[in-house]
Amino acid sequence: MKFWEIGKRNLKEIYRNPVLLGFLLGMPLAFMLVFCAAAGGGQASPIALGIVDEDRSQDSSAFIQNLGGIEAIELNEPIYSEKSQAQEDLEDGRISLYLLIPSGFEEATRAQQAINLELFYKEADPMIGLQLKLIIEAVGSEFLGVAPPLNVELKGTESKIKNLAVNFYFPGIAVFGLMILISTAAEIIAGDREKGFLARMFTTPARPWDFILAYSLPFIPVLIVSTLIYLGVGMALGLTVVGNLGYAFLIFFLIGLCSIGIGMIVGSLVKSESQAGVSWIFIVPMAMISGAWFSVERMPSAIKSVAGVLPFIHAIDASRAVLNGSSFSAIILDLYWLAGWTVVLFVTGIILFRRTMVS
Amino acid sequence: MNAVQTFKLTREFDSLVAVNGIDLEIKKGELFSLLGPNGAGKTTTIRMLCCLLKPTKGTASILGYDVIKTPFAVKRLIGVSPQDTILSERLNCWENLALIGKVHGLSSKEVKRRSKELLETMGLMERSKDQVRKFSGGMKRRLNIAMALVSDPQVLFLDEPTLGLDPQARRAIWEYIAELKGKKTILLTTHYMEEADFLSDRIGIIDEGRVVALGTSQELKTNLFEMHSMVVSTENLTAEVIADLLSKYSRLEKVKGRLKIYHKDLNFKEIVDYLHSRGVTVYSAALEQPTLEDVFIQITGKKLRD
Repeated sequence: MKFWEIGKRNLKEIYRNPVLLGFLLGMPLAFMLVFCAAAGGGQASPIALGIVDEDRSQDSSAFIQNLGGIEAIELNEPIYSEKSQAQEDLEDGRISLYLLIPSGFEEATRAQQAINLELFYKEADPMIGLQLKLIIEAVGSEFLGVAPPLNVELKGTESKIKNLAVNFYFPGIAVFGLMILISTAAEIIAGDREKGFLARMFTTPARPWDFILAYSLPFIPVLIVSTLIYLGVGMALGLTVVGNLGYAFLIFFLIGLCSIGIGMIVGSLVKSESQAGVSWIFIVPMAMISGAWFSVERMPSAIKSVAGVLPFIHAIDASRAVLNGSSFSAIILDLYWLAGWTVVLFVTGIILFRRTMVS
Repeated sequence: MNAVQTFKLTREFDSLVAVNGIDLEIKKGELFSLLGPNGAGKTTTIRMLCCLLKPTKGTASILGYDVIKTPFAVKRLIGVSPQDTILSERLNCWENLALIGKVHGLSSKEVKRRSKELLETMGLMERSKDQVRKFSGGMKRRLNIAMALVSDPQVLFLDEPTLGLDPQARRAIWEYIAELKGKKTILLTTHYMEEADFLSDRIGIIDEGRVVALGTSQELKTNLFEMHSMVVSTENLTAEVIADLLSKYSRLEKVKGRLKIYHKDLNFKEIVDYLHSRGVTVYSAALEQPTLEDVFIQITGKKLRD
């Protein structure tokens, strides 16, 4: 249990340092307040949505009614029967976007077949489409997944997501906030290397994995508390948790571990605390292609591929999905991906640490 | 079996040869000092023996365990007090000692017992519950040494243990180290000749990565130091007398108004009688013992603090 002894020391060094502790725990709070305020907070204006109902059936009407019941959506009246009318209103700015319900919707609904709903928006304003896509998918998937009478089953869904902006931005903010653990972990290891503490400990029988575990240990409570702060402040600002909160927590926990793992690797490679600032060279680009702020869908395919390999987009997509009501099976691959990355990063950290123990 | 043995131990940093083929044999229970100026290769030698630095050539063993092949076996046997005082600043004395003790596998009870003993010996008990960042340099240095001892190591490496301390604190640490003689094998590095002289069973003088002289303090002074000196405090010393003395003895120096005579063999009575015969008033005269610094200067041509 050598790692436990070194870990206890690291824990005390962090928790007895009010500046560092304030940074670690105050930062998530400040982050959430600033970004949610910037994203509209609790006062987001409803999005003007037009509907083109080509089906004109009972089910399509029920679906539209449920969409209209959502606070964040201002349903444009009357319902269009022609796509061209809706397109004209979109171009004139009377509506922000419109949804096309194709003919055969009711038939497909009752046969429990998949239905493609098309959401049209102005290319100049892609974020609005992305925001609404989530809510329509959430309502739609639940709509298709339950047996009639639909209107009874759907009532719960109507008021579930209160603020689309918060639900859209929250996962990105939380994951980016947890990515800051990369630089903090790297700085703490690099600082101990610079002060000679690691060299002193390298003369003891402690093994490389003892050090990697020992330096991860103090961040576990930080990670748990940060995630709780993110979720708590997020909910206070209007985040609606439709799905399982535990799964969301698990996703944030795993991406936090990945960030700590990357921090261990950076900390193993750099020689001083100031050099640990190099971690921002990884953090910022990784955040840019994580889907936290911009959709990667419109990025070049090479960047999309890189983003898809990295763990962050999986954490954001999975947490967004689970918060908006997706089931565990929908996020299982993302969870495997995150767990795999965690293992790879920690093993790499141990290998690199071993190399730095003797020069 | 020797406690510490090196075999042509060498470490090169690019074109610089920091340690150049050192062969050392330190017996169990011996206190051996490596004496040399800054940059002589003392710390590099210790770092190799502590498995922090890989030798580029040669190797070393600690109680039979090779530092390259079995580093973790070596680490279980050693205690290290590094040259820089390295403590966990936001931990108190007990916590700092427990960290090292427990990483070495000691039980909580044993760590507590050893810590209490060391804190009392080092005079740190009164402030033992304070975070060490509030300590003076001397207190930190004492704790630094206590941390090397808490695991009750068989071989102890003390790298410049009194560097930067005031004479009183230095003396206190010397006395503690002296108490360990015979109980632990100690390799001490220092560039304080008094420290090496006071503490060591044997001394290795190291310069430019090589051990240039080896022996007890007395052996080094008597066997290696060929030049002896005598200091005479006089009046009426004329140029003629000085010229005459210069023809008889190897070297003369005037130090703070006193005459210092250097020669391989000096006869106290002969010099004093000669001065009297030339009408020189002699107030005092004394034969001087060579210091380790004299030995060092003779061997390397440098001063220890160069």
